[in-house]
Amino acid sequence: MKFIAFLLVFLALPVHAHKPSDSFLALHVDGAAARLQWDIALRDLEFAIGLDADGNGEITWGELKAKRRELEAYALSRLTISSGEKPCVLSATDLLVDEHSDGAYAVLRIAADCSARPAGSIGIGYRLFFDLDPTHRGLVRFERAGGSAQTGVLSPEKPQLAFRAGEVSALDQFLDYLKEGIKHIWDGIDHVLFLLSLLLPAVLLFSGKEWQAARGFRDVFWDVFKVVTSFTVAHSITLSLAALSVISLPSRLVESAIALSVLLAALNNLWPVVFARRWAVAFGFGLVHGFGFASVLQDLGLPQGALLLALVGFNLGVEAGQLAIVSGFLPAAYALRGTWLYRRLLFTGGSVAIALVAAIWLVERAFDLKLL
Amino acid sequence: MQQCFSPGVGLLFKGFVAAAGVVGALSVAAAPQLPKDDSIVLERLPSKAADPAAAELKRLRAAASAAPESVDAAARLARRYFELAMAEGDPRYVGYAEAVLRRWPETASTPAELLVLQGLLRQYRHDFDRGLVDFDLALSSDPANTEALAWRAAILMVRADYAGARRECERLAEHSTALHATACAAYIEATTGQARRAHERLAAALAARSDVPPEFQVWVLTRLAEMAWRYGDPATADRHFRAALALGLDDNFLLAAYADFLLEQKRAGEVAALLKRWVRSDTLLLRLALAERALGLPEAAGHTRTLGERFAEASLRGERLHLQEEARYLLDLKGDAPAALAAAAENYQTQREPRDALVLLEAALAAREPAAAAPALKWLDETGFEGTRIREVAGKLKGMK
Repeated sequence: MKFIAFLLVFLALPVHAHKPSDSFLALHVDGAAARLQWDIALRDLEFAIGLDADGNGEITWGELKAKRRELEAYALSRLTISSGEKPCVLSATDLLVDEHSDGAYAVLRIAADCSARPAGSIGIGYRLFFDLDPTHRGLVRFERAGGSAQTGVLSPEKPQLAFRAGEVSALDQFLDYLKEGIKHIWDGIDHVLFLLSLLLPAVLLFSGKEWQAARGFRDVFWDVFKVVTSFTVAHSITLSLAALSVISLPSRLVESAIALSVLLAALNNLWPVVFARRWAVAFGFGLVHGFGFASVLQDLGLPQGALLLALVGFNLGVEAGQLAIVSGFLPAAYALRGTWLYRRLLFTGGSVAIALVAAIWLVERAFDLKLL
Repeated sequence: MQQCFSPGVGLLFKGFVAAAGVVGALSVAAAPQLPKDDSIVLERLPSKAADPAAAELKRLRAAASAAPESVDAAARLARRYFELAMAEGDPRYVGYAEAVLRRWPETASTPAELLVLQGLLRQYRHDFDRGLVDFDLALSSDPANTEALAWRAAILMVRADYAGARRECERLAEHSTALHATACAAYIEATTGQARRAHERLAAALAARSDVPPEFQVWVLTRLAEMAWRYGDPATADRHFRAALALGLDDNFLLAAYADFLLEQKRAGEVAALLKRWVRSDTLLLRLALAERALGLPEAAGHTRTLGERFAEASLRGERLHLQEEARYLLDLKGDAPAALAAAAENYQTQREPRDALVLLEAALAAREPAAAAPALKWLDETGFEGTRIREVAGKLKGMK
C-alpha cells in the first residue's frame, strides 16, 4: 500500500485523459413555446439509475429504451424551466442517442409549456447528478427565434441561470458597453489620478515662482475643457486602433507608461515645466491611456456584428465617467482655489501623494514586482 | 473517439462531430439518431457487473451508504474511486470521490486519512494551495503520514519550489524506505542541474532492492530514463524506457515520456506504433498526432481535429486543466504561435515543471516574444537544469533580445 501510494504521487499530476461529466442543454425559445434538447451521458445514467440490465458491460439501445420512463422521471425532477417567475410544465417527447467526444449520450427532447409568453427572462434551475458528482456541469446553449444564442454553465455553486427571452437589441448592447465604460473609469484609479493631476492646477495660475488663484471662471472652464477634450480625443484614437487590432502593444509596457504619465503629471504640479500647454500633455499621454482602455475592452470581448456600436458605447461611457468626475471637481476646486486648504493641502499634498503612488506603480509594473 | 455504434453509424457520428467542433457540442443542429435495432451497442462500460473489481466497488458503495458516518467506509470507497480515475484516466471517479467525502469539512478535526484524500482531489483539480493545506492538516495529527509528505513534495516540485520539496523529502526519509527517500531526493537533484549524480544514486538504490513492486519499478525506471536523457545519454535512456515497458503495465505517464523522447530523437515511426491504441487519452493522442504529422500520415488531420474538439469541450466548462497540452497542440499542430504562447504563459503561472518551461520557451521563440519567456529563462538560470533542447531554445531566445 505504501509503495502504491507513493507511486501515485508522481504519476497523477500530468495525466488527463477524458473530460469530466457534462450534460448538454440546448434551449430554444420561439414565442410562447420553448423546446429543450438534453444530452446526458450514458456513463452517468448507468451510475445514477443503472442501464446495463444484463450486466455484460455493454449498454444496448434495448436496455436504454426499457429504462425510458425511469430516466425521464429522474432527469425531469432535477430540472426546472421558468418564464418570468412562473414554472413551465415539462414533458419529454422523444428519446434519441448521439455521440460526444467522450462517448454515447441519451438525447431527451422536451417540450416546455409556459403559461406566460416568455417575453421577459427564462430561468433554468438544475441539479442533475450534483449529489453523486459535484464536478458535474450542465452546459447550456440558449437560442432565440432570431438566431442569436448565448451559453452558460450550471454547477452546484451556480445551479440557476437566467436568459433574456427576447432578442438582445442593438440598444441593449450599446447600453451594456456604455455601462462598462463608465464602470472602468471609476475602477481604473490610474486614469482618474492622471486626470486629477492635470485638473488640480486648472483653478490656479503659475506666476513663474508660485501658484496663485486664477481669476475668472471662464478662463478656468476653458482650461479644463481643453485638457479634458484633448485627453478624450487622444485616448479615443488609440482605443479604437487597438480594439480594431490595428496596433497592439505589450500590456506591461502600456501599464508602465500609464504609471509614468501619472507620476510626471503630478511632479509637474510640484515643479512646473508645462503650464499653459497642459492640453498637449493630456493629448500625448492620452494616447497611452487609450491602450489601457483597449485591454479592458479586449477582456470583455467585442460582439462581432456590433463592433462599432460597442466601441462607441464603451468610449462614450468612459467620457460620461470623466465628465462626472470633472463636474464634481470643478465647482468645488473653484470655490476653494484661494484658500490655504486648496493650495497647500489639496494641491501640493495631493500632488505629492499621487506622485508617490504612481512611482510605486511604475516600479511594480516595470519590474513585475509587488510592493504593496 | 470511441466507435460503439454499428460501424456505419459510428463513422457518420465521427464525421459529424469532427466537422462541427465546438458549435456541434452545444448546438441543437446536431444529428441525434434513433437506433434501428434494440441490439445495437451504444456504450461499452469499463467493467462488467460480474468482474471482481466491479463487485468489490459495489460492496464498497453499499458499505458506505449503509454507514454514512463511517470514516473507514468512506475512505475505502473514495480511495477506490481515485485509483479508478488514475487507472482509467476518467475524472468522473474523482467527482464520485468528492461526493463521498463531502460530509467531512477540510479542518484539523477531520481524520488524517480523509484529509489526505481531500488533498488528492484538490491537486487533481489543480487547486494546489488548498491541496497543500489539506496535506498539512493531515500531518498535524499524523506526522508520519508518508503519503501526505510525498504529495507535498510533488506539488512543490510542480511549483518549482525546490527548497520546499527538499524539506518534505527529508521529512519523508525519516519514515520511509531508503529507496523512497532516494527517489524523492534524486527527483529534485535531477531537476536542479545534477542529473548524472541523481541517476547514479537512484540506479544504485533500485539495484539494492529485489522486492520492488512493478508499479513502483515503472516509476523509478521512467525517472531514470528521463535523467539519462537529460544529461545526454540517449542509449541509457532508451534502455530504461524499454525495461519499464517490458514490465507490461499500461502507464500513461511512461508512454508520454517515452513518446516525447522518441519524437525528439526523430523516431516518430516508433511513436505511432506505440500509441496507436491510446487515442482516448488526450496526453497520448497529442503525441500520436505529432508523430503522424512528422511521418506525413493522413491520420494526423483527423486526430488534430479530435484534439481541438476536446479542448473546446473542456473550455465550455470554464476549466483550464489541459493548458500545457493545449499550448503544445496550438504550437506544433496548429502553428498558432501567439495563441500557444498565451496558453503556455497562463499554464506557467501554476505549473512549472521542465515540460511547462520548454513549451513556454518554444512558443515565445515561435512568436518572437522573448520577454514572455522571462520566467522560464530565469528558472533555467537558477536551477542549472540540463537538457539539450531546452538549452538550445533558451540560447536562441537570448540571442533575440
